[in-house]
Amino acid sequence: MSEAEVADEHHDDHGEAHGDHPKWLQHHWDTPAQQFDAAKIGMWAFLGQELLFFSGLFVAYAIYRTWYGDAFAAGSHELNRTMGAANTCVLLFSSLTAALSVRSSQLGKKNETTMWIVLTIACAFIFLIVKYFEYTAKFHHGLLPGSAFGTPRDMLTFQPIPGAHSPAGELPDHTHVFFSLYFVMTGIHGIHVIIGIGVWAWILKRNLRGDFSKRYFTPVDVTALYWHLVDLVWIYLFPMMYLIDYVAPGHKG
Amino acid sequence: MAAITTDQHGHGGHDGDPNVNYLNNTRGIWSWIYTLDHKRIGLMYLAAVIFFFIFAGVMALLVRIELLTPGRTIVDPDTYNRIFTIHGVVMVFLFIIPAIPASLGNFVLPMMLGAKDVAFPRLNLLSYYIYILGATFAVISLLSGGVDTGWTFYTPYSTTTNGAVVLMVLGAFIAGFSSILTGVNFITTIHKLRAPGLTWSRLPLFLWAIYATSILQVLATPVLAITLLLLMLERTLDIGIFDAHKGGDPVLFQHFFWFYSHPAVYIMILPGMGIVNELIATFTHRKIMGYRAVFVSSLALALFSFLVWAHHMFTSGMSEYANMVFSALTFLVAIPSGVKVFNWTGTLYKASIWTASPMLYALAFLFQFCIGGLTGLFLAMLAVDIHLHDTYFVVAHFHYVMVGSTVFAFWGGLHYWWPKMTGKMYDEKTAKRVFWTVFVGYNGVFIPQFVLGSRGMPRRYYDYLPQFQTLHMVSTFFSWILAVGLFWMLFMFIQSLRHGKKAPRNPWNSAGYEWGAPSPPPLENFVKQPVFTRGPYDYHLATDAEIAED
Amino acid sequence: MTDPHDDHEEYDKVENVHGVVPPPPREDHGLGPYGADEVHAHIGSYRMYFAVFMGLIVFTLLTVGVASIHLGRANLAVAVIIASVKAVLVCTFFMHLKDDNKFNSLILIAAVTFIGVFFALTLNDVAYREKLDTQSGNRVALESGDKAPGSWENPVKKEGEKKEGETPPTASGVPSAEKSPHPN
Repeated sequence: MSEAEVADEHHDDHGEAHGDHPKWLQHHWDTPAQQFDAAKIGMWAFLGQELLFFSGLFVAYAIYRTWYGDAFAAGSHELNRTMGAANTCVLLFSSLTAALSVRSSQLGKKNETTMWIVLTIACAFIFLIVKYFEYTAKFHHGLLPGSAFGTPRDMLTFQPIPGAHSPAGELPDHTHVFFSLYFVMTGIHGIHVIIGIGVWAWILKRNLRGDFSKRYFTPVDVTALYWHLVDLVWIYLFPMMYLIDYVAPGHKG
Repeated sequence: MAAITTDQHGHGGHDGDPNVNYLNNTRGIWSWIYTLDHKRIGLMYLAAVIFFFIFAGVMALLVRIELLTPGRTIVDPDTYNRIFTIHGVVMVFLFIIPAIPASLGNFVLPMMLGAKDVAFPRLNLLSYYIYILGATFAVISLLSGGVDTGWTFYTPYSTTTNGAVVLMVLGAFIAGFSSILTGVNFITTIHKLRAPGLTWSRLPLFLWAIYATSILQVLATPVLAITLLLLMLERTLDIGIFDAHKGGDPVLFQHFFWFYSHPAVYIMILPGMGIVNELIATFTHRKIMGYRAVFVSSLALALFSFLVWAHHMFTSGMSEYANMVFSALTFLVAIPSGVKVFNWTGTLYKASIWTASPMLYALAFLFQFCIGGLTGLFLAMLAVDIHLHDTYFVVAHFHYVMVGSTVFAFWGGLHYWWPKMTGKMYDEKTAKRVFWTVFVGYNGVFIPQFVLGSRGMPRRYYDYLPQFQTLHMVSTFFSWILAVGLFWMLFMFIQSLRHGKKAPRNPWNSAGYEWGAPSPPPLENFVKQPVFTRGPYDYHLATDAEIAED
Repeated sequence: MTDPHDDHEEYDKVENVHGVVPPPPREDHGLGPYGADEVHAHIGSYRMYFAVFMGLIVFTLLTVGVASIHLGRANLAVAVIIASVKAVLVCTFFMHLKDDNKFNSLILIAAVTFIGVFFALTLNDVAYREKLDTQSGNRVALESGDKAPGSWENPVKKEGEKKEGETPPTASGVPSAEKSPHPN
């Protein structure tokens, strides 16, 4: 998202960089503040679209949870609450380190910024590893979306595992709807985490190269905004997926 | 404040040379492929949307020829379904949504702001290539068998039918992101790159319209993205979210789809309304009556468009209560639309109107938008809609809004800004003849369809009862006149590029900001950083030099 | 702690070089293109960031704890409220909305508002959609149990009841009456 570098070929025609126009200030901006504010508005507008993007899934969740309350509770109990809670804390911590990386880059402390970014990326990897183990367990129990529900499968090859036991038969009808939503929502969230890792790696590289200063830290700031959004989505996903109150089968209401 | 940087930077190193402009300051194919100049990107969009318009237009001609007689005329029913689907998908996702904002908007938006470029030039280029990528997937889908679902991709048909649905949906999904990024870019540009003196209350009404459009692009398009993603997962992984057999809800798909696609109607029409404001002001030399009411109504249309989506679903099995709520909310849309028509008519009243070719398109817009808008009220009424739903009445209604309004405004804008974009004039006499051919052809195609629909002819049908044939034949006949007009227009513009005489700076004597730049403009648009001391329609404040041709 | 506004003087010089253009009227509440030159960066203290983080952890523990208390349908509401408090903390402090351009908050509010519209109007349909009666194959009104207006008689169902278990083709949402969570 960052429109930071003045790397466009038009400037090659212009010749030398101008004293009042630092290298990182694009030719169509007059002041650093203008460029910075624009980057923030642009990122917030982008986050607005991200929110609407996820909102469709939450609407579907609300409807199906209303219809199939028992199935959602039963499905939720098949998830590993400890892993979910641990991952929540990991992601919240990465949000903290992301915010602190912005803080240190605002102060021009390059090495400190590097440390916080590395910590953020490390947390993102921990999150994905935990998620990998969770997914593998679900695959081995055949707790899969839609028509794949009920057949234990290998996570990587997607081949059925003969003889493996699946609890799917004992769960209420329509539990597969819960797992469809679980995999789609956490899956899309996971893709956002992976994209985030890529962007952070790029920011890390630029920070090590010394691109950022007290006057120019816009890319760190907008990347952190994106990362907080990833955290925000998970803040809602965690209680909705992992913490559904258990309602005994047959109980209505 | 460093407002005047133009003087130091020059324009591609050729400061002051009037023969150097954005078209020739750098040369070679790579200077276009890698360009970050909003004007070149606008032209590239223009070329792409015109290509897809011609392509989808030919599909429409095939549909009309097939409907010349009941039963088989030229193609079999399966091919017919694929043809009207490709017509719809390409026209909506690849032509009309990017048509005005991304091509004409991209070109004139920074110029109207007195800016050198959009806020994020690289994002602008990226969104163009994303659009091309989406279009490529749509074309691949077409080559690998096509799609017969209609442009709405309704489940459960779209999840069970054969054909390359996933590829086509992927194409629309990707093209959507191009639209989102354009919206993000334009919102930021309007906020942060207005020249000194350009206050919100001086913002040209075209930009207010683009601003409202951008809000819709940013906040509605992602819902289409998630809908299409779920549809792709439904087809590939069988997740069952929209499948009633698996406990899903097919009507939910329609809710999701129209939550985007109704606001999308305003993504299409709002920029058209914006162009009409500019045309009417220029060709009457008047301030648009009730400037504030016009921009507030643009924002109100953007807001209301989010509240009315399910009026497309009155017969879908939605609850009766929701039907009533949506029917009542839909009438709200008539208020801001009516305000706009009132203001345009008020501006024209007792004005001295110069009926140059762009203005003819604006007047046709007014006529056709009234027809399209008022027939919309019939359809908003629950009881009437049950009868008219999915008939040719609906087809004619939305073509009056989409083609009769938006595309006519697009053509008007294209004529209006053509001299600025290319630096060449077109032949005005030919342009007027083209206009009348297109106008007669267009209305001849769709007026019979209102009658057909009200008599019960269902849309998308391959075959029909013999009593409908006369009207179908009339409609098909006029579609050929329309086609002749459009190819004539294309020929006229090509002739203008080859032999057109050099365009003056301000051929329409407009007081609009963008006409202050040379034709065609230099790389950074203005020779000097403009400072605006009057509104874009303040003809009483504009100096003679400003509204002179050169 | 270094003040980011240290560079002020440098920009003032730039201002003097080019200060030929009068500033535009600032009627747009500071959103205008030519505000202050320097980047506005409010730098929060470590204390604040860690305090917010601890708050987020506390609310996470709270939401886990509340989930094991049996509240029936209120559980979801409580979970959403706690999550929203956490979201507000993140937006206000980590995402700097507190000290940021107000327009950015407006974007967020607009997005949340339209999400609210999306929820309200879609759920409005689903909540009032008539349920499907497996006995008659008809859609029936929720409150009275009467045949819903415009509902369709399923001829197959009328003839033989043997296909009871199947989802009837008219199912527009709730496939079977027993599963309907609406209290009768």
